Amino acid sequence: MITTSAAFIIVVEFGSVLIGGWLLSSYLLKVYSTKRTRLDRIFGPIERTIYYLGGVNPYEEMGWKAYLRSVLALNAVEAAIGFVLLLYQGSLPLNPMHAPDMSWSLSLNTALSFSSNTNLQHYNGGSALSYMSQMAVIQFLQFTSAATGLSVGIAIFRGLTGKTKGLGNFYVDYTRTLVRVLIPLSGVTALILIFLGVPQSLNGYTIFKTLEIGGSEIVKSGPIASLVSIMQLGTNGGGYFGANAANPLTNPSQITNLFELAIMMLIPTSLPFLFGRMLGRMKEGRTIIVASYSLYFIDLLIAFIPITHIGQGMEVRFGAASSVFWTVTTTAFTTGSLNANLSAFNPLVILAGFFGMIIQATPGGIGVGAMYMLMYVIMTVFIVGLMAGRTPEYLGTKINASDVKLAIIAFLSHPIIILIPTVITFAIGAQVAVGLGTNSLSFTQILYEYTSAAANNGSDFLGSAGNTVYFNVSTGIVMWLGRFIPIAVMLAIAGNMVQRKRYASEALRTDTLAFTAVLIVAIFILAVLTFFPFLAIGPILSYLEGFKNGF
Amino acid sequence: MKKSNSLTVPIRIALVSLVACGILFPGVVTSIAQLAMPVQANGSLISFHNTTIGSSLIAQDFNYSGFFQPRNDSASGLDPDITVQNATQQASKIHNVTGISMAYLDSIIKENTKYTLFFFGTAYVNVLDLNINLAEHYPAIYDRYSV
Repeated sequence: MITTSAAFIIVVEFGSVLIGGWLLSSYLLKVYSTKRTRLDRIFGPIERTIYYLGGVNPYEEMGWKAYLRSVLALNAVEAAIGFVLLLYQGSLPLNPMHAPDMSWSLSLNTALSFSSNTNLQHYNGGSALSYMSQMAVIQFLQFTSAATGLSVGIAIFRGLTGKTKGLGNFYVDYTRTLVRVLIPLSGVTALILIFLGVPQSLNGYTIFKTLEIGGSEIVKSGPIASLVSIMQLGTNGGGYFGANAANPLTNPSQITNLFELAIMMLIPTSLPFLFGRMLGRMKEGRTIIVASYSLYFIDLLIAFIPITHIGQGMEVRFGAASSVFWTVTTTAFTTGSLNANLSAFNPLVILAGFFGMIIQATPGGIGVGAMYMLMYVIMTVFIVGLMAGRTPEYLGTKINASDVKLAIIAFLSHPIIILIPTVITFAIGAQVAVGLGTNSLSFTQILYEYTSAAANNGSDFLGSAGNTVYFNVSTGIVMWLGRFIPIAVMLAIAGNMVQRKRYASEALRTDTLAFTAVLIVAIFILAVLTFFPFLAIGPILSYLEGFKNGF
Repeated sequence: MKKSNSLTVPIRIALVSLVACGILFPGVVTSIAQLAMPVQANGSLISFHNTTIGSSLIAQDFNYSGFFQPRNDSASGLDPDITVQNATQQASKIHNVTGISMAYLDSIIKENTKYTLFFFGTAYVNVLDLNINLAEHYPAIYDRYSV
């Protein structure tokens, strides 16, 4: 049940996030337009230096194919850098704790995971990574994958709004995202986190004698605040430690807890507003924000049905309400950081988590959440068009058969890359290697693993137990397919639409609350029913079996 | 219009990003933190009798039954806090072991109580705060057990 304290958190938190998102969207509009702004004097020289060092022609306009090629090439190179740095981290500098080289399969999994904005972690960062890896692999890829996601989202907005010739220039969007959005925001939030108690040092791990004679403890300080800031702002979710945001060094108090949650929600919340601003029609943005937040609230309601008490696997300083709130939000925004152990929760909380990762647009991850919502809009416009017997149109332009086919490919890729590996895992008995059997609880954990990988979420039950060649390679592949198939397809749709003729009158209005309601129902039916049989033998069965205290 | 070279551009941009995001960013943040907020930046270390005894953010183990005990089932395994309810239950045991009055134990619990949500939510206390207080006020009992 929603208690007074839960209601209080939710009202204060959403109030600040919605206001912050609204304000940020007006700034983002300037970041991604070609018009000159006052901030050019500060950021312009930095960007020109990057274009010069990178050999980028910033005036080149890209179609969807060139844009996609650049996205794939850059992310492949970045993943490769991360892979090599992890493979040889033992001999690299900034390793005072002597973390050994990572195995090839774990390096591969980690590089694919962070470059795809997933942050599934089959290792325990506190012991398995050097400072160099925490910075030059983890934080590096958290920045670049977030910048990629946001750039792609903007390119798709440009395609659908149809006010430009092409989709923009990926390298320009990426550079401006880093220079004008992510680095400044992360810098400010990192300093706030340090002020509130999150460590930031490079002095190595220190062992202290504790208060009681004979006792000792190790304080694993490191560049934690700078990691937590981009992990949350960029909807990454991969924590410094295995326990993620439950570890008191990454999340020392309720205030840091609410702050970290808020910065996770900030950018995805601002994007529907930005879409409205780019179109010059805020009501179209309203459709997207209302639909995504409505689905998110349904998630929250499901999760708060069972009364959750502070129990095993939760941290006292956050309390039960904040732990449930975080878990639902981290899946709804496909971030994947956790402030409690998933096994602490009632199966209904886990079910709510599944909904977030299945839909991926509630509001979803940075840039791509809005992309998935537009995919649902195109499918809904088509369905409604069929029912009304009219040509489907969106934003004053026709939706072709090829657009709908592409949107359906993007949509169907999600269940395919989740359900096939889940079934293969049980068919070959790979779940035994991570200590699981063949019951609803084990099924839930494996289904969750691949759903989280495909949705680029990254929260999981397995943790470092998942470090087997089979799970490292299979989830690695799923993470990249889950990231780049929908991006490719949606860029194609946007590229095809950008030059299409726009009409003044619209057959079907998409800026009304009636359409928003239809959209919500359509998403629920499309996404949830696809997975229903699998959810039924996973978390729903667990709930019915009465495993009240989780798994 | 000159096209960006599709082979070298991704490599060069990736290297620039690596230096900017993976080295410069955490480096600059660390420098500012160490200069401006050294206490927090180094893990909120605390002292007892002029020796550093670790971080106030991390739970410590206590074997002597005259100390308050942290919980060991939480998500991080490092949870430094217990609920007030739990502390009050432990207080009567500590009273039996050490003879310290219940009134005093209740008063330090009350003094150190924090709330999960500013003014409401679950009330909790930091275990180390309680134990440092006990060791300072009852050296006759705790000196044998503490550093």
